[in-house]
Amino acid sequence: MPAPMPVSVRVRDLARRYGRVEALRGVTFEVAPGEIFGLLGPNGAGKTTALECILGLRRPDSGEIEIAGIDALARPGEARQVCGAQLQAAALQDRITPRRALSLFASFYREPAEVGGLIERFGLAEKADEAFERLSEGQRQRLFLALAFVNNPGLVVLDEPTAGLDPRSRRELHRFIQETGRSGRTVLLSTHDLGEAELLCDRIGILDHGRIVAAGRPSELIRASGTAPAVEVRTVRPPNRARMESLPGVTACTGEGERWRLGTGDVNATLFGLARLLESEGNEILGLEVVKPTLEDVFLELTGRPWAAPEEGER
Amino acid sequence: MKGRTRAVHGLFRHFLLCLELNLQSKQALVYGFLVPVFFLVAFGSVFRAETPALYGQMGQILTITILGGACFGMPTLLVSERERGIWRRYRLLPVPAGGLVLGVMAARVLIVSAAAALQVALAHVAYHTPLPVHPLQTAAGVVVVCTSFLGLGLLVAALADDVPAVQAIGQCLFLPMIMIGGVGIPLGALPAWARAASGFMPGRYAVEVLQLGYSDARGMSHAGFALGALAVIGACAAVAGARLFRWEEGRHFVRATWSWLGVALFAWAATGLAASLTGRLAVLAPPNAGYGAVSDEQIAGIGFEDLPGDSEFVSRLARPFAGAAGGPVGEIRARIRDWAPGHGADAGQSARNLLSVAALGDVSQDEHEGEIARLVFDELRGRLGDAELRRVLAWIILYPEEGSVVTSAPELGLGRRFREAIVRERIDLYSRKFLGRLLGKIRD
Repeated sequence: MPAPMPVSVRVRDLARRYGRVEALRGVTFEVAPGEIFGLLGPNGAGKTTALECILGLRRPDSGEIEIAGIDALARPGEARQVCGAQLQAAALQDRITPRRALSLFASFYREPAEVGGLIERFGLAEKADEAFERLSEGQRQRLFLALAFVNNPGLVVLDEPTAGLDPRSRRELHRFIQETGRSGRTVLLSTHDLGEAELLCDRIGILDHGRIVAAGRPSELIRASGTAPAVEVRTVRPPNRARMESLPGVTACTGEGERWRLGTGDVNATLFGLARLLESEGNEILGLEVVKPTLEDVFLELTGRPWAAPEEGER
Repeated sequence: MKGRTRAVHGLFRHFLLCLELNLQSKQALVYGFLVPVFFLVAFGSVFRAETPALYGQMGQILTITILGGACFGMPTLLVSERERGIWRRYRLLPVPAGGLVLGVMAARVLIVSAAAALQVALAHVAYHTPLPVHPLQTAAGVVVVCTSFLGLGLLVAALADDVPAVQAIGQCLFLPMIMIGGVGIPLGALPAWARAASGFMPGRYAVEVLQLGYSDARGMSHAGFALGALAVIGACAAVAGARLFRWEEGRHFVRATWSWLGVALFAWAATGLAASLTGRLAVLAPPNAGYGAVSDEQIAGIGFEDLPGDSEFVSRLARPFAGAAGGPVGEIRARIRDWAPGHGADAGQSARNLLSVAALGDVSQDEHEGEIARLVFDELRGRLGDAELRRVLAWIILYPEEGSVVTSAPELGLGRRFREAIVRERIDLYSRKFLGRLLGKIRD
């Protein structure tokens, strides 16, 4: 499949209400061509609504959406020519086969991908002529992914792509998304999985209550957060607390008995000091871990709420 | 391929897919083809004794088939696909919604038309029902009726939240039309209030259009109002259905829903009122039902305008005889009285034969043409009585192409042969002149 022109996305002041609920409250972000951008947020943050507005499934109350320089609200058909998408909730007719479905969907586009190539690429060769109703969940997932590439899009939008997948399928999909990014396509995905966002995305936008509360590279967001790294240690005997608090770099010391957590501004100095302290006490280390701040800490800092593990199928 | 050409290409592929998937679905085949056959058999078991069997019911049978396909089949498919998220996926395509919906509707027209053709063929084979008098008009009628009902189906799909709701809303349309709308029970068998109510339902007009195409020599040229009614009702429902169309499940009634539903229902009301105000709610009896089924409303709806004068070149009619006619006229009277074709078992056909004599006298410009016509009128009154003659004449006026006519009567001194069409035309004129007199609308 020839690499298409990467596509930029620009979203400005997007707002959408459902009755009294404000699902989106002035969402603004940009995705550069060839970038993997993740919309990250807990249940009801507005991720799916934002993607649906971008894809033209839902009309925003106000705001602007530009895809590859095309005003997606004024010319949705044009925007869809360069955009492929995999939705959370979608299905096909029971008796349609992957080959027929790909061939049908491809027939609507100006520059369709070669159906045979898609079937091979997405591992559907053996099931190409099998009815949709007989495909497994994983095969269906691959078919919908293939449908997202049926127009050889410059922008691929994936709504919670790994939701409901088993660990193996999830790993495969992660690899695939990374390859897609490397092929020069722009990827816009939503996820509630912090690890997934950190692993896959060049940049993320954290959505909370319909508003982007932070955007940037995951590492930058973590670095910029005020949360310190920590050293977690488990010893044979309880160490001396006062001496631990006075170790170099230590900003906080919590724990009891044989288990302690030392917040630190200088991990190396704290580790070195801790080793010497325990040796001098004749104590022994049973476990030692350096805990770096995560996006979970960033979220807590930005919203004042801990990250809640979302349930499957949240929108 | 350019963008627009690609889009059309895609929409055509979608249309073909709809057809193919329908033919692969057992459920669709049962509802689409087996149920119509069941209805045909049900009608056949009731009306098979008529001659020819089912000839006067084919409009009803075809209407039921179309109603089922349009008001149940299509919305059930649309709603089940919507519930499963298929239409949500379609919406990501770079084509307007209308194109995809039109594909579904076009496929449904073909499927329903195939079911209708199957019914016609089975009726012909199993019950010896004659084939349509106007096959092309009947086919066109099926398409028109189907398109109109698909408009209703689209609205049903937009209103229904799920498949059971389609069944509920569909029955709300289906049952009244079957019971009091002239679709299941013939209009002639309904009480007056139900006949009036039927004018507000599209089923009546569908039956009228299809029956005229199927068995009436006049064809659908007389179905202008019915076709207009179907077009208005179908178009309003289709517009409302398109405006309320849902890509995904979950939206419930809002103010706009009620407004568009009002637009669709207004079309029914407006059509019924127009039919009522223009006197079109008179019952059209099926042709083979004979003159006995002609109603007073039908007789009242017959016009007598623009008839030629009695002493004009066409359709002359002598003044009533003062006493017993003698001379040559007396001889003609005696011959007419004994003329065998005037004494058949079917009073309606016998009357048509006698009227042929008046028509032949007129077109052959017999020196006694006016007297012959008067003799025929007197003879008919004497044999049938005014009440029955009124119905016979009305039946002949309403169904001028029914039965047979005599194109030459040498035994009555009218040996020259004329074209059937001109004889039928003159029969129509004389029938109106006679009926007008019987009703007191023409002075003798």
